[in-house]
Amino acid sequence: MKKLFIILGLIASVLAIILSVLPLSNLAFFPAIVAFIFGLAAFYFSNKEKSSKKTIQLIFLLTIIALSISTYKSIFNANEVGNTEELQEREKESEENAIEELEGLDLDEIDIE
Amino acid sequence: MQKYIFILLLFFSSFGIAQNNAFKAGENLTFTASYNMSGVLTELAQVNMVTSEVKTSKATLLRLKCTAATYNKWDSFFKIRDLYESYVSPTTIKPYLYKRDIFEGGYSKLVQYKYSHSNGTVESIITKKKKTGGTYDQKKNLKISSNTKDIVSTIYFLRTLDLKSFKSGTYKTLPVLFDNKPTDVILTYLGKETISTGIGSKMCYKLSISIKNSDVLKGNNDNILWLTADENKIPVYATFKVAVGNGELRIKSATGLKN
Repeated sequence: MKKLFIILGLIASVLAIILSVLPLSNLAFFPAIVAFIFGLAAFYFSNKEKSSKKTIQLIFLLTIIALSISTYKSIFNANEVGNTEELQEREKESEENAIEELEGLDLDEIDIE
Repeated sequence: MQKYIFILLLFFSSFGIAQNNAFKAGENLTFTASYNMSGVLTELAQVNMVTSEVKTSKATLLRLKCTAATYNKWDSFFKIRDLYESYVSPTTIKPYLYKRDIFEGGYSKLVQYKYSHSNGTVESIITKKKKTGGTYDQKKNLKISSNTKDIVSTIYFLRTLDLKSFKSGTYKTLPVLFDNKPTDVILTYLGKETISTGIGSKMCYKLSISIKNSDVLKGNNDNILWLTADENKIPVYATFKVAVGNGELRIKSATGLKN
């Protein structure tokens, strides 16, 4: 039983670490909570069996790292738009082309203010 | 004489309905698009809606420009740089030229519609990238009804509707041309609601949007648009549900408003 919880806890905590470094860091909270619960369960069983708790400590360590990375990211990382220079250039070019196209269109029916 | 008076009255009344009191050139609306992943809203992209004046030798048109750009944390995974434009009449929001230039995760496409309202046709040009390199054009002439618009001008046209006179349950069908297919967008007025937005707490008109004979938008009343219940009718909040999940669009800032 202890082994099962340790394996599940490790899987969940590794998943939490992976998610926390990806842009999806908000989602890392779910596996982190799961890992924490499995870690506690494993801790309880290993206390019963009075066996080594080294791996369980690793689960908690990984979970804490994942939680701190995702919390840090959600608080300090403001969302910023990346490089839009190329888009702005396309906008400008498009407007110039559009004016040319519009000159060729039949705009007689338009209501000019 | 009576006939002329009648025609004049008709002309002015139609002018009154079509009058655009909601926006002018120089308006800039910024939105944040979020996607709902297992109950957690993740901010994906910034959407801008900007209006400006465009002068040709014959007329002055309004350029309605919508851009979408993913936040930098997503750029290395799925970069989006989309540009949607519509050149419309400043009063009636009748479109004359529509351009859609999209770049989504390596895929790019250019769509252009040139409207000829007197003939009731649209000349569509779609430019796509070839797999072997280079581009190719697809030209087509499409028949449209007199009030068919593109997606951008439809969004702005919604704002010129006289929503004050709408009763709960009133619906309006708007013909929209998208991907060379004429589709009917059905707009249902659901009532008024006060919601808190990025530009303060606002009393809003709540509108449900659905597409006739299409299952792009899922759910019943899950695709809702909130427009402020004032003269500006700013779109402040929108929720949508598609096959791959649901998301929302929230306003961040609004400048250059008409009223």
